[in-house]
Amino acid sequence: MFYSIRHVTRFRYSSPVRESVMELRMQPRSEGPQSLRSFQISTNPRAQLYAYTDHAGNAVYHFNVLRAHEELRIEAQAVVEIFRTQPLPEAADTLEWDRYNVYNLNDDHFDLIEPSRYTEFSPALKAFMAEHGLDQPKGDPLSALKALNHTIYESFEYVPGVTQVHSLIDHALEIRRGVCQDFAHIMIAVVRKWGVPARYVSGYLYHRPRSDGKRERSAQSADATHAWVEAYMPSLGWIGFDPTNDVLADERHIRAAVGRDYADVPPARGVLKGVAESELAIAVSVEPTSAPIRHEDFLRIARPMATPKPTPSMPERLYHQQQQQQQ
Amino acid sequence: MTVAAAKAARPGLDAPFTKYALSSAYDEMFSPDGTVRAHYRTLHTALAALPPEELYRRQQACELSFLHQGITFTVYSDKQATERIIPTDLIPRLITADEWAHIEKGLKQRIHALNLFLKDIYNDGRVLKDGLIPRSMIYGSKHYRREMRGLSVPHDAYVNVCGTDLIRCENGRFAVLEDNLRVPSGVSYMLTGRDVVRRAFPDLFQAMRVRPIDQYPRELLATLRSLVPFHEDASIAVLTPGIFNSAFFEHAFLARQMGVELVEGRDLLVNDNVVYARTTSGLKRIDVIYRRIDDDFIDPLIFRGDSALGVPGLFNAYRAGNVVIANALGTGVADDKAIYTYVPRLIRYYLSEEPILDQIDTFRCREKNSLSHVLANLDTLVVKAVGESGGYGMLVGPHATKAQRENFAEKIKADPENYIAQPTIQLSTAPTFVEGGIEARHIDLRPFILHGEETRLVPGAFTRVALKRGSLVVNSSQGGGSKDTWVIGDGA
Repeated sequence: MFYSIRHVTRFRYSSPVRESVMELRMQPRSEGPQSLRSFQISTNPRAQLYAYTDHAGNAVYHFNVLRAHEELRIEAQAVVEIFRTQPLPEAADTLEWDRYNVYNLNDDHFDLIEPSRYTEFSPALKAFMAEHGLDQPKGDPLSALKALNHTIYESFEYVPGVTQVHSLIDHALEIRRGVCQDFAHIMIAVVRKWGVPARYVSGYLYHRPRSDGKRERSAQSADATHAWVEAYMPSLGWIGFDPTNDVLADERHIRAAVGRDYADVPPARGVLKGVAESELAIAVSVEPTSAPIRHEDFLRIARPMATPKPTPSMPERLYHQQQQQQQ
Repeated sequence: MTVAAAKAARPGLDAPFTKYALSSAYDEMFSPDGTVRAHYRTLHTALAALPPEELYRRQQACELSFLHQGITFTVYSDKQATERIIPTDLIPRLITADEWAHIEKGLKQRIHALNLFLKDIYNDGRVLKDGLIPRSMIYGSKHYRREMRGLSVPHDAYVNVCGTDLIRCENGRFAVLEDNLRVPSGVSYMLTGRDVVRRAFPDLFQAMRVRPIDQYPRELLATLRSLVPFHEDASIAVLTPGIFNSAFFEHAFLARQMGVELVEGRDLLVNDNVVYARTTSGLKRIDVIYRRIDDDFIDPLIFRGDSALGVPGLFNAYRAGNVVIANALGTGVADDKAIYTYVPRLIRYYLSEEPILDQIDTFRCREKNSLSHVLANLDTLVVKAVGESGGYGMLVGPHATKAQRENFAEKIKADPENYIAQPTIQLSTAPTFVEGGIEARHIDLRPFILHGEETRLVPGAFTRVALKRGSLVVNSSQGGGSKDTWVIGDGA
C-alpha cells in the first residue's frame, strides 16, 4: 500500500519577527513494514536545511531564518509504502512476563520504562488504574495491553480543544475527555507502571472510508496527524496500540517519529525573536497513491551507449559527449 | 627552638587564641594536645606577635579591598541584601606539599574515572550492562541528557572544569564530599582572595614559599583552546546568565583575565548551524563557549522552551561540531549525590586502581534497609536531595528542630530515591579572625581541576569557612565565607 502525505504548516505573525529557529520531525521512518520512498521539505522564506538522526532514530530537520519575516511556511511531502504484516496471535503466553529481563531488553527498552514528564505516575493516574482494575495486568501481556487499549477507548470521550499541547495527563484524567495525545500518554504511563517498555509514536493515520459507515474517532480531528503507543514484547517486538480508535496499529498508521512522550517528538518546534501575536495553520492530507514510477521505468534511453575506441585524450572527450543535446 | 615552643600561645589560654576552642574535629593549626602543627608554626608565631588592633586593621583593609573591586556574591534566599561581598578571612589556610601531592593525584584519578563514566553512559552503557549501577538511576535522573547519546566530545573530555569539595575528617585524612561537574564556581574568590591576603602578610608569604596560583586563567584558556584544532586562533567566549546571576562577578573576572568575550545568550546567535557573537564590528564566529549556564537553560529549542538565557539552535551547532561547549552537556548525571556513592567502584571499574581519596559513607535511601536506618537516625544524619546543589534541599539533623526533622522525614518517605544521608561529619577547623579574636571555625576545600587534552590543577583552592560558631554549612549561598589557601613549598 502506498500513501502520499502532504503536511503544510504555516505560522503568521502580526508584526515582523526575526531569528526563527525550527526543528522538524516529519519524515516518515523507514523500518519494518514501512518504507520511505521519497521525501521533500521546502520552506518559505527559503532556508538552508540541516538534518541529523536523533538518538531514537528519528530524522530531524532544522533551519533558521535570520531576517525579518511575517510568515513562515513549511511544506513536507512524503511517499511511503506499507506492507501488510502477519496478523498477531490472539494472545501471547503468560511466560512472556518472565522475559522482561536483562537478557531480552536493551538499554533503550529500560529507558522507556522510566516515567517521563507527560507520563508521570500521578495520583490521578493511580486512581484511574484502581478504578478500572489496572493495578496489575491481567493475563498475558498482549491480552492485557489490548484490554487496556479498549479500557482507555471506553473511558474517554474524544473532544478536540479541551486539552492543550502541553497538558499533563491529569487534565484529561479529570475531565475524561481529550485527544489522541492525551490517550497515548495515559496508556504509556500505565504500561510503564507494569514494567513494559512503551513509547509515543507521532505520525499520520489514513482514515479509510468504512463499509459500515462508522467513522473513526480521530477522523473528527482537523487533520490527519495522529499519535499512538508502541509497547515492547520480548517475543513479538514493538506492537502499536491506538487507544483513540480502539485498534492495533496497522497498515494505515504511518510512523514519523518515536520518543518517550510528545515532548521528544513534536512535528515542529521553534523559537523566534520579536513581539507579535502568532497564528498557526496546519493542513495534512494522507492519500493512497499508486506506486511511484521507478527511475528505470521513467527514463527513456535517448542515446544508447556506444563503445568508443580508447584514445589518449578520452576522459576529456567523454566529458564533452555527455553534454545533452538540446532538442 | 624548645624555648620558642614553650612560649607558644596556647589555644583557649593565651592571646590572641583565648577563645580558640578545640573540639572533636581535626584542627588545622593545633594538635589535640594544643601544640602547634609543624607547618603552621611560622604563621602561628606571626599571629601571636601581632597586636589585636593590627589584625583588625588588616581585616578591615581586606574587606574594603573586596568592596572596591566589586567582588560580590548574590544570596537568593536572603531578604536583606541580595548582593554582598563574600566575607574573606584574613588568616590563610595552609596545606603542605605532601598533602597537596596526595590531593592532586586523587583528584586527577577521580576526574579521569568520571569522564570515562560519562562517555560510557552516553555511548555503550557498559557500566549499566555489567550491573554496576542501576539503570533507573541514570534514566530516571533529570540531568541525563538523551540528546548527548552517541555524540563525541573533544578528547572525550566531558568535564573540562571541575570543582571538587573536600573535607578533612577527624582522622586528619582528606575525603571527597561532592563533585561539581556542571558549572562550579568559586575560582575567582580563590584568585582575588590571594591578592588581598598576600598584601596583608607580605613577609610571611615570601618566607613560606607559597606556590603561585595566578596562572589559573592562563591554564583555563589553554584547556579551552585544547578543545579545538588550530588552538591559537580559536575564538572563545564566556557565556553568563547575566548580571543577576550569583556568580556574575566571576564570569566577568574570568573573561577579563583570559582576554576573551563575555557574552549573554542574547549576544549570540546561530545561523546556518554556526555560532556567532554580535559585536560592534559585525558578527564574529565563536569556536568555544565556556558556559556558566545550566543545561536546562542553554538552548530553548532543545531544552527548556521558556529559557530567555540561552541561544536557540546552539545545541544543533554543537552536535554538528561547529562549536565546543565546556563543560559538555549532561555532566550533571555524574555529580548527582547518589552517583557519588558509586564513584569508588567506578574508579576500580574503569581504571583498575584503588581510589586514592577517601569519601564519606553514604546511605542511599532508595535501598530499603538504608531508608529505615536513615529515618530512625535523622537526628544524627545529614540528608541531601540527590539532584540539588549549593546547600539547598538539605537537612542537618543535629541542628534541626524536631518539627523540621518530621517535616523532612515525610519528604524522604514520599520520594526515597531522591535522598541520600551521611553521618554528620565534623569538618576540620582552622583559625579564623572573628569578632576581634582568633577562633576555630569549620572549613572545607574546593580545588579546581582543568581537563582538556591534559589534566591540570593549580596548587590552590577555594577554602570555604562557616563563620557562625559551630556551624557546618560552608556554602557561599548560605552565607559562608572564604579563606585564602596556601599550598606551601617543599621544606618551608
